[in-house]
Amino acid sequence: MRTGDYKQTYGELVALVDSPPVWLWSAVLVLALIVAPYALNSYALSFVTIILITVVGALGLNILTGYTGLISLGHVGFLVTGAYAYAILVSKYQMPPLAGFLGAGLVPAIASLIVGAPSLRLKGLYLAITTLAFSFIINTVILEARWLTNGARGIAVQRPELFGISFDSDAAFTHLCLGFALVTLFAALNIRRSRVGRAFVAIRDNDTAARVMGINLHAYKLLAFVTSAFITGIAGALYGIYLSFVSVEGFPFLLSIEALAILIVGGLGSALGAVLGTVLIVLLPEATRMIFSLFSAQMDAMFSTGAQELKSMLYGLVIILFLRFQPRGLVGAWHDIRRTWVHWPLRY
Amino acid sequence: MQYLMQLLISGLAIGAIYGLIAMGFSVIYKSTGLVNFAQGEMTMITAYIAWTISTTVGGNLFLVSIGAIIAAILLGLVIERVVMRPMLGEPVFATVMVTIGLAVILRSSINFIWDAYPHGLDVGFGRDIVRIGTIGVRTGQIAVITTLLLMLVAIWAFFRYSKFGVAMRAVAADDRTALLMGISAPRVHAAAWAASSVIAGIAGVFFAISYDLSPAMFQLGLKAFPATILGGLDAVLGSGIGGLLIGITENLAGGYLGSGMKEVAGFLMIIVVLMIRPFGIFGERDIERV
Repeated sequence: MRTGDYKQTYGELVALVDSPPVWLWSAVLVLALIVAPYALNSYALSFVTIILITVVGALGLNILTGYTGLISLGHVGFLVTGAYAYAILVSKYQMPPLAGFLGAGLVPAIASLIVGAPSLRLKGLYLAITTLAFSFIINTVILEARWLTNGARGIAVQRPELFGISFDSDAAFTHLCLGFALVTLFAALNIRRSRVGRAFVAIRDNDTAARVMGINLHAYKLLAFVTSAFITGIAGALYGIYLSFVSVEGFPFLLSIEALAILIVGGLGSALGAVLGTVLIVLLPEATRMIFSLFSAQMDAMFSTGAQELKSMLYGLVIILFLRFQPRGLVGAWHDIRRTWVHWPLRY
Repeated sequence: MQYLMQLLISGLAIGAIYGLIAMGFSVIYKSTGLVNFAQGEMTMITAYIAWTISTTVGGNLFLVSIGAIIAAILLGLVIERVVMRPMLGEPVFATVMVTIGLAVILRSSINFIWDAYPHGLDVGFGRDIVRIGTIGVRTGQIAVITTLLLMLVAIWAFFRYSKFGVAMRAVAADDRTALLMGISAPRVHAAAWAASSVIAGIAGVFFAISYDLSPAMFQLGLKAFPATILGGLDAVLGSGIGGLLIGITENLAGGYLGSGMKEVAGFLMIIVVLMIRPFGIFGERDIERV
């Protein structure tokens, strides 16, 4: 008797999805997201857009922290670099937006080599601290290089026009973000099942063993940095376009924490986790606000005055609670539920 | 020359504050093996509590310092018991992330409990200026440098001679063996958190006396990072000295190269240090055997 869902060939192990209905449901979700801009009001739509942009960034960080196990506290640095690269290329030098997006990926990727190289000798906490230092250094560089970045004044960014299609309207911009999110999701899933992705995970699980098996630690760690920074930079460009204004204040340090919270809540090292975590973390402040406003108008007022503080408090609380009670995140919870559903009333 | 001396003195004063916070970092790292990302926030909270006490009792120096120390001990103990102890035995990544979550919560609680405006902590001393030759120094600055030096001696003696200090070193070296030898690891952890909270709290109070109290004070913790990395995460005394070095570097960079450099001088310095000696100047190289 079959007692579980076992994978018997290598082909099954590296398959993109493990059962055909997943394709169907994914297609339904994508269709729903394509239709969403026409069905939702602009407030709800802004959440969809933010979620799609954040998914791109979370998947980027997931490659570095989730797959390769290198903790980064400075991912907001790559985000802001990408946003500025796009803004400078497109708004300042009137380059085509496509070149802007390419630059938004490449510039952080190059910057990541600079921060990655000294990090090769470091592990764990020390790496977290170097990346933290990087995000502060990049902020100072941006503020000081006024001739290029306008310093603290920031740069205004227009919605782009790609392949003759204008993405000026909110609906069209959501579609653009959806496109980027889907491409990133496919890239992340495919990286994970490729040779490179397996090398990343091997480094995370045990770097000494990985090295013994012939994985070049330095090359793969740098590759993880570059890939992660490239994707994060593009998320930064999208976020900059969404804000229609790129400045250092638009990218507070809290975003780094938010990104880590997303990965922890979703489940480290899983692309599905990054998506689920994003949805939860982005909607969490709004959902809490709604629940509180049911109780009393006074609590609602507290939310509107101290929104920023409450939001960050929630992130902190969610990080602590998940690490304490569900360290594998939402993906872990989902696996547990699925297993119980299949095996009930047997335990396994 | 006078400009240089002035920069050096104020660098030493702010460096002493970084040094105290950095010692807080390494006390926790030394006995629990984790970096407490909430150190700056704990510094800030104690300073705010001291401010509240000083406004209620009218700036009595004795009451303020006793109250602040008790508050810091309680804060450290509560955090250890409620937040950190359930995480015993979890991977380092998880525990460190918990301290980050804690930092975010503490930081935003400041605006809720107190307010977002800067305040001066007035305890009747610290703001008046003493002249040494041609250089003006605030008494608060002299006091904080003296405190750091006294603290360095006290902590050195504590770890070297007291039984509990030796127990802490034992837990840090290998907590399982220490448990087998009859040392209570949770008690050592609790003591480390309380001690670290007090040291950081003293730094916060001195900062509030010499400069001002504001919700941006948690950045002191970020500035103390370079100090503790420079000195060595596991070197308590080294961290204190690292603080002085970072303070001086930062002030000289700010004085001669511009204010932008002041903000990042410390971070640039640790990147360089980490490339050459990843374990800090006074830290111990840990050898991995396979």
